[in-house]
Amino acid sequence: MAVALFTFSLIIFLLPRLIPGNPLAALLAEIAQRGQANPEAVRIYERMLTDYFKFDRPLYQQYFDFMGRLFRGDLGTSVRFFPSKVSELIAASLPWTLALLIPATLVSWVIGNYLGVVIAFKRGRRTDKVVYPVLLILSQTPYYWLAMILLYYFAVQLHLFPVAGVHSPLRVPNLSIDFIIDLLHHYTLPFLSIVLAATGWWAIGMRALAIYETGSDYLLYAESLGVSNRRLQRFVLRNSMLPQVTGLAINFGTVLGGALITELVFSYRGTGYMIYQSLISLDYMLIQGVFMVLMVTLLLAIFIVDVIYAYIDPRIRTGYMGG
Amino acid sequence: MLKIKRFDIGITILMLIVLLGIIGPMLRNVDPFDFGNLRDMPPSWQHPLGTDSLGRDLLAQLMYGIKTSLYVGLIAAIIAVVIGVVLGGISGYKRGLADESLMSVTNIGLLLPSILLMVMIAAYLKVRSPLMVAVIIGVTSWPGMARGIRAQTLSLAEREHVYLSIMSAYRASRVLFEDILANMAAYIFTSFIIHMSGAMLAEAGLSLIGAGPTMGTSLGLILFWAQTMYAISRGLWLWFIPPGAILVALASSLFIVASSLDEYFNPRLRSK
Repeated sequence: MAVALFTFSLIIFLLPRLIPGNPLAALLAEIAQRGQANPEAVRIYERMLTDYFKFDRPLYQQYFDFMGRLFRGDLGTSVRFFPSKVSELIAASLPWTLALLIPATLVSWVIGNYLGVVIAFKRGRRTDKVVYPVLLILSQTPYYWLAMILLYYFAVQLHLFPVAGVHSPLRVPNLSIDFIIDLLHHYTLPFLSIVLAATGWWAIGMRALAIYETGSDYLLYAESLGVSNRRLQRFVLRNSMLPQVTGLAINFGTVLGGALITELVFSYRGTGYMIYQSLISLDYMLIQGVFMVLMVTLLLAIFIVDVIYAYIDPRIRTGYMGG
Repeated sequence: MLKIKRFDIGITILMLIVLLGIIGPMLRNVDPFDFGNLRDMPPSWQHPLGTDSLGRDLLAQLMYGIKTSLYVGLIAAIIAVVIGVVLGGISGYKRGLADESLMSVTNIGLLLPSILLMVMIAAYLKVRSPLMVAVIIGVTSWPGMARGIRAQTLSLAEREHVYLSIMSAYRASRVLFEDILANMAAYIFTSFIIHMSGAMLAEAGLSLIGAGPTMGTSLGLILFWAQTMYAISRGLWLWFIPPGAILVALASSLFIVASSLDEYFNPRLRSK
């Protein structure tokens, strides 16, 4: 894991710098506009900023500087949103993204798994013939297109939900009921688009696993004893859940990418939006900071899922304890 | 065709869309890049889907876009399969150091949000043809393929006929090719189809962020322009609903074809 992090930090450091273009260009243009476009002043600014960000030092020095700062918890200062610190920007946007992604992923995982098992049991009958194609289409639908449709129908046509943003522009985030309702109002459509698409995906996966499980002997025996269908479903759910748990861990990485686009469609000011801004403006510091944080979060999620894995599967537990 | 009804449905939908993309432009000779039409026109005989805010005919765009999206999906899947089969096969067969190093590379590749790599490579190449986008997607998606191939190779390498070939002093490459790959052919084929649908969706996602092809048009690019020109807020549903629907139809039909082929090749998966 440490090797992966280290390699990743190298990649995330080198790759933006390989892209031709001056990271300070956008910032200098803005300064030149706001000031009186005095070429001398702009040049002085450029020298001052280059010195501040150490862009003129050799690459390996910049890298050591970056890693050193990283271990102290200092992610540097953003170029695009100068003079905000990267950690401030991330702290402002990450909670919104996580608040969207984590519940959406968990809800769709739970519902999807349950649906998958139920569908597997009703295989070949009428319910399967109707629900399976629906789930299939949902699973292959990109989040963002579903987001567009929901936005169009519910927000633009029916005016039931707002079109963009996390909360109404005039409100300041606070903990009043008013604000929370407004928040949920804005939150619903992005949440729904992720949940609908992801549920289809999990359900299809679970159905395949559950069908495999339904061929096993213990189920036949239980059925012959007259165990109710619902209890049989519970058995199947628990026994075929393992690959889905692994999938959940891997999924976090992919969902971050998908959420990026969803956030764009809704102008939802989360981390995805921040990533997008940093990439198009070539803000080295912000790119490095955001992706390192993302990577750490991802590895943490995988680690937590590993622990949960050991918890729910007694075979792995005994393996660890040398049983 | 095959005994499975789902296959017929899937392949029919797929063929219809492919025909629309390939034969369509021949039957209807409208240039998708003609900016000269009136903008934001509702559907008419001349423009069955209307025009977009830049004056281009939407139906012509759709047909051209289908072609490009299919092309990108195909090329990306071919690249991913070739790299994945070679590396996964060697890794699973040789084991040892080659396997370990390859697996670490694959793990890093799988963990890296591929969006990041793709967007940065896309930003590096200011002008991108659909072929380049296909290469980028192929190069970022081979780890998943390699993993699966390696797993299959590991299990196949334990079979008796492989031992027989090794004892008969066949070269490693011959063993790999004749004994292992030949038995994986069904798996490789279905993986290819799944990767193709994934690549098409990836291209759409990239195009939506603006990291897609800068030449021509694709289903994702149509969505990109719709998003940029606020088609959703303006209610121009004929602009952004057809491309997405076609994408979903393509991905779904490819999935149905792949899973029914799976059932065909592996009788144990059949329901009766």
